[in-house]
Amino acid sequence: MAAQPKPIHLEQANYLEGGGIYGWLTTIDHKRIAVLYGVTALILMGLGGTEAMLVRAQLIVPNNHFLSADFYNQMFTMHGLTMIFLVVMPLETGLFGNFLIPLQIGARDVAFPRLNALSYWIFLLGAISLNFGWVFGGLPNGGWFGYANLTERAYAPGLNIDYYDVGLLILGVSSVMSALNFFVTIVNMRAPGMTFMRMPMLIWALLVTVILLLLAFPALTVGLIFLFADRYFGSHFYEVIAGATPMLWQHLFWIFGHPEVYIMALPAFGMISEVLPVFSRKPLFGYPMMAYSIILIAFLSYGVWGHHMFATGMGPVADSAFAITSMLIAIPTGVKVFSWIATVWGGRLRFTTSMLFALGFILEFTIGGLSGVMHASAPIDLEQTDSYFIIAHFHYVLFGGVLMAILAAFYFYFPKMCGRFMNETLGKWHFWLTTIFFNCTFFPMHFLGEWGMPRRIYTYAPDMGWNFWNKFESISAFCLGASFLLFFANVVWSWFNGERAGADPWDARTLEWSIPSPPPIYNFVTVPTVHSRDAFWVEKYGDVEASGLGEKRVNVEYQSLPTPEEIGAIHMPGPSLYPIIMAGGIFLAGLGMLVGWFRLVFLGLGLLAFCAIAMSFEYKEWGEDNPHQVHESFLKLDNRKVGVWGFIGSECVFFASLISTFMVYKSRSIGMPDASILNIPLTSFSTFILLMSSLLMVLALHGFQSGKPKVGTAWLLGTAFFGLIFLGGQVYEFTSFYREGMLYNTNLFSQCFYTLVGFHGFHVFIGVVWLLVMAVAGMKGKIGTSRALSVELCGLYWHFVDIVWVVIFTLIYLMRTINRA
Amino acid sequence: MKPRTIKFTRASSIAALFAMAASIAGCASGGPYPLDTLSPKSDLTRAILSLFKEVTILDSIVLVVVIAAMIGAIFIYSSREGDPGEPSAMHSDVTLEMLWTVIPALILVAITIPTVHTIIRTQPDKWPAGTLEVRVIAHQWWWEFQYPAQGGLDTADEVHIPINRTIHFAMTSNDVIHSFFMPSIGGKRDVVPGQNNQITLIADTPGEYYGQCTEFCGASHANMRFRVFVDTPEAFDQWVAHQQAPPFKPTEGPAANGAKIWANAPCAICHTIRGVSGFSKDYTYGFRGPDLTHFGSRTTLAGSMFDNTPQNVAMWIKDPVAVKPGANMPTLGLEGQDLHDLVAYLESLK
Repeated sequence: MAAQPKPIHLEQANYLEGGGIYGWLTTIDHKRIAVLYGVTALILMGLGGTEAMLVRAQLIVPNNHFLSADFYNQMFTMHGLTMIFLVVMPLETGLFGNFLIPLQIGARDVAFPRLNALSYWIFLLGAISLNFGWVFGGLPNGGWFGYANLTERAYAPGLNIDYYDVGLLILGVSSVMSALNFFVTIVNMRAPGMTFMRMPMLIWALLVTVILLLLAFPALTVGLIFLFADRYFGSHFYEVIAGATPMLWQHLFWIFGHPEVYIMALPAFGMISEVLPVFSRKPLFGYPMMAYSIILIAFLSYGVWGHHMFATGMGPVADSAFAITSMLIAIPTGVKVFSWIATVWGGRLRFTTSMLFALGFILEFTIGGLSGVMHASAPIDLEQTDSYFIIAHFHYVLFGGVLMAILAAFYFYFPKMCGRFMNETLGKWHFWLTTIFFNCTFFPMHFLGEWGMPRRIYTYAPDMGWNFWNKFESISAFCLGASFLLFFANVVWSWFNGERAGADPWDARTLEWSIPSPPPIYNFVTVPTVHSRDAFWVEKYGDVEASGLGEKRVNVEYQSLPTPEEIGAIHMPGPSLYPIIMAGGIFLAGLGMLVGWFRLVFLGLGLLAFCAIAMSFEYKEWGEDNPHQVHESFLKLDNRKVGVWGFIGSECVFFASLISTFMVYKSRSIGMPDASILNIPLTSFSTFILLMSSLLMVLALHGFQSGKPKVGTAWLLGTAFFGLIFLGGQVYEFTSFYREGMLYNTNLFSQCFYTLVGFHGFHVFIGVVWLLVMAVAGMKGKIGTSRALSVELCGLYWHFVDIVWVVIFTLIYLMRTINRA
Repeated sequence: MKPRTIKFTRASSIAALFAMAASIAGCASGGPYPLDTLSPKSDLTRAILSLFKEVTILDSIVLVVVIAAMIGAIFIYSSREGDPGEPSAMHSDVTLEMLWTVIPALILVAITIPTVHTIIRTQPDKWPAGTLEVRVIAHQWWWEFQYPAQGGLDTADEVHIPINRTIHFAMTSNDVIHSFFMPSIGGKRDVVPGQNNQITLIADTPGEYYGQCTEFCGASHANMRFRVFVDTPEAFDQWVAHQQAPPFKPTEGPAANGAKIWANAPCAICHTIRGVSGFSKDYTYGFRGPDLTHFGSRTTLAGSMFDNTPQNVAMWIKDPVAVKPGANMPTLGLEGQDLHDLVAYLESLK
């Protein structure tokens, strides 16, 4: 069925073999992409750890001069950015998410394999952008949270913050793309019979995590866009002189930032929920409550962001509200901790390295969570926030918690990834040394915080009572760093020399253990049908509650050597050059933004657009059913439709952030022009045109669906034409405002207006391009009745853009007289 | 219990005891701790401490329960490979799940109610008659204090307040976001440009207390410190009167010579000595340094980095950026006798 550009050799023994370097550069296999993420993230973990060692070396004695103040500020900033964006997130979603999601749900790959590869190359690009300051211009030095207005040009004149801005924008694109991919994969590509309540808990965790990613990153993106505008276009989104407030950044950042910490924590929860049952020989305790608590945590995480801002003077009502919601979120978290302990209780325990890390996780994460409960009480936080007490809290949850969970998963899944065990002796040394030195490094930080030591200080006076514990922590930190050398050595040595492992070395419970280690490219010879939770365990022992001791284990024929007929029935997508080229386009665009050459930006974006369009025609039967979605999803949806809905969700948050900023700032804008400059009659007309274009879109879809492609194409062209009229109206509006003296940075009103309406116009422009591409395809007869779906997708996007315009038109144009609160 | 389990349990209990002892030792040993958050000397910080104690006790109870459950699960109520019998397969128990949802919820309610009560109590929007208003203006990287009701009293690095009187700190920043942290007296509150934040408190114990900036604000964030002097009412009135008096004008000796150097040097572009020199505050809005009218009476300088001694003042004037990275004060090229005399003049401004 699939005529691929390059045939892949499904008879290869496993996914790691064949193809050479070119094969790795053009891979779209989720397993290879996972390995790419893993290797990159581990190298960056070494870098982030080194940055921490430098920080601790500077703090070992008071009034130290080992690092200059500015370099210290760069080091703590990079340590935070590296560990969060370049280590934990890529390991959790990039490595484990990528590798395991298709294997655990019984799929052959993710929903959009080329997008998956693109996510990796963009991630690599973002990592390089963030770290480019080592070579030239200086690293980001405003903290990982980059509070305005310290990040404005006036206070941060160098390139440091520009690398921060552009680097995080690039990384955000990679994350959201991955999130969309995994969202569609989990929702739509589960094996037959795998209902939501039969999914492995790690899949639950990853599903909710990617929803959080889709709905949280856009707030940060908007904040970064405002920062970029301030630094490059002279606007004043965060500057008091124009009536703005630096607090806008904090709100946007933490509306992203708090879900971000759950984006880091939830996959860790999922991993623990996989490891503990296997090494306790018991099912996970309280599966339904575990799933619901993940959902509740994610939902509540959008309501607690102000607890990072208790000291900022939001007022007693806001302080109380955020204190209450922050306490609430502790309840589902507690449920999980107790459920994990109950999972272990009464089990038959095996203390492998993986299990040790999982057990350590429970204790360390609980300690971190309990100090979190303290911070949730706003008055207490007034003493604790911005002190070492907070550093202790988040290192307990992120290092003792999340990182230990990642290590547990690493030791657990390493055999599946490469067919060899990691060395258990080295592993146990790693565990004990890490646990001891981790606690020695971070527990005393609770004391230092209680004794008032602030965060982010490059040195301290000798008479503060902090000397002994700083020295103790620094020495412990060096030992902690050394213990990680054991880990890295173990990884490298075991990859090449480790003891061989079979398909199911741990006698585990879920589907990924039913295929060879390392897996073949196509994962499963035949896609399994699932009848229960812990499907593989049931296949082996007959019952999810069986202990596997007394019962005779069914001799499971691991799916290793398929017959030629079986191979022939497997359709896999081939490698593609487009992802790496597209990443190159984004590199050019990012570089252009950094040096201020906007022609380079357009060149890069043009390359990106060209590749995107070409990529959609890469597989010859683009006009036919989706070649990658061979099995009907049991929700009976098309992958791309679910994808467009997910994308629309994240766009909602994007526009909501822009619109909210406008509503807050319009009453703070100083001087003219204000909303009286808007031409209501003219804009009403172009709004009418845009709404009519939606009607034409509906007619176009109907045309294709009823087998009249010429009619459909005509209506598509009509829609595009109306879209162009709308855009023409916008261009006229903008140029007439410009002539009346309203430049981009004239005042808050002008900058908010141009940014919001400009981005919307850009979305319309993309829509018009899409419509024209579809129209060309329609004219060439490539859109049949069964392909009308691609028109439907374009329609979904187009209607969404219209609805956003209705909101903008109502709030900004029609309601312009509502000005003073 | 099996012998190996007993050994494990003993070993881990002893380890836990050591850990707890270390924690307590950590808490109790050493000192003094000038920025201690656990020695409250005002109504505000006492309210915070009592909340803190309550939460610490409740947190400790939960931690002990979790540790006990983990010890039970790992060492006592589980089996190992080769042990006879079947492991449990229990994976659901509604009563248990309800208990461990409801009980933590009740504990959290017990924390939330006094939390909200304290929040509302400690953030008034009306102040009684007789309240002393202190305006705090944060700069990169020093603290300015103004007393509006005391007519033009403008000082830096140290703030004086009387006991048993409501103090209303009204705070804003001149540049970026800082945070005003005086743990014994007032906790902290961010200081945001374009915004007025407040701390309201009544101090009860005379003494000298430390403060520091706790919001990352650039190169010398670590060096942006201050002192709080809590005085008896009489001592406070004396201090105010002294600060309101015109500056000392030396007529002889190195200080007199220093006064002439001051008159000719660019210092007055940024610094004010009331009645002697300095531009109006509006003119020098972006560039103003601390008011030096009574500089000699202060105990510290340069954002409370150093004690106010002639050697330290000389070191500071000679090369500010060397001792305080990023400092906005330029090197004036003064040295030798000129520098000595200028220092003598500044120190004479008691």
